[in-house]
Amino acid sequence: MDFFSSMSVSASALSAERTRMNLISSNLANANATRTPEGGPYKRKDAVFSATPAETGRFDRALNNATSLEVRKVEVMEIIEDKNPPRLQYDPSHPDSNQQGYVAMPNVNVLEEMADMIHATRTYEANVTAVNAAKSMALKTLEIGR
Amino acid sequence: MQVDGIFNSTINLLGKSIDLRTRQQNLLSSNVANAETPNYVPKALAFEDELQNAVKGAKKGTAVLTHQRHIPLKGVSGRIETVSGRVVETPAKTPGKDGNAVELENEMSRMSENQIMYNASVQILSKKFEGIKSAIREGK
Repeated sequence: MDFFSSMSVSASALSAERTRMNLISSNLANANATRTPEGGPYKRKDAVFSATPAETGRFDRALNNATSLEVRKVEVMEIIEDKNPPRLQYDPSHPDSNQQGYVAMPNVNVLEEMADMIHATRTYEANVTAVNAAKSMALKTLEIGR
Repeated sequence: MQVDGIFNSTINLLGKSIDLRTRQQNLLSSNVANAETPNYVPKALAFEDELQNAVKGAKKGTAVLTHQRHIPLKGVSGRIETVSGRVVETPAKTPGKDGNAVELENEMSRMSENQIMYNASVQILSKKFEGIKSAIREGK
């Protein structure tokens, strides 16, 4: 149990937030994509996070005390597709329009995606601060007895 | 005056404080990492009162607990070495819709407080060692 586990926990969060950022970029980029390889319009994607124990090995568990068992990493458990129906837009001239002249557009709300993006950025920054805090504390320890 | 070798109980206390604050830092970074995880409840290490009691007990020179599994007598505290703190949940007043109870502002302020206290302990500890060194060198 040391500062490196603190750093690896923060690193797991950085990579999880990066995954979320990639999904947000994907959602924004495809906000108007009416065709996908699976057929139909693009569906909004989101990441599901889960807290998992930082140390999984039995040896680690036996060696460490109860505090370290409470330390949780964050992992991207799965990437889900938004179940909301596609947004219908009236455009009879569009090649993908139906009999009534409506086109099924992706269920992506650009404003929501932008808000999520700001959220992801701030959380990422908070984790960078946590890494820096752990680093400066570890370096400070090396000054003992100097 | 009670002397444990040349290293007195203050050095033990500072060492323990550094150890506990390292654990606190681990818990706090776990909270920040899970700031977006559904149903996550933030945790922190509460050790201040326990450590304070241990210091008081050490000064009084009364019976002390020397092992974690000893049953404490009334008014008798553990030794500084056996203080381990306890993990408490620190949920926010208003958890979000997804059941996540982390408030990033709280966690960040706790983290900087912890960092400052840690740095203070390290600084005092190195001053202690400097004092001993100075005595060894006859103040030269």
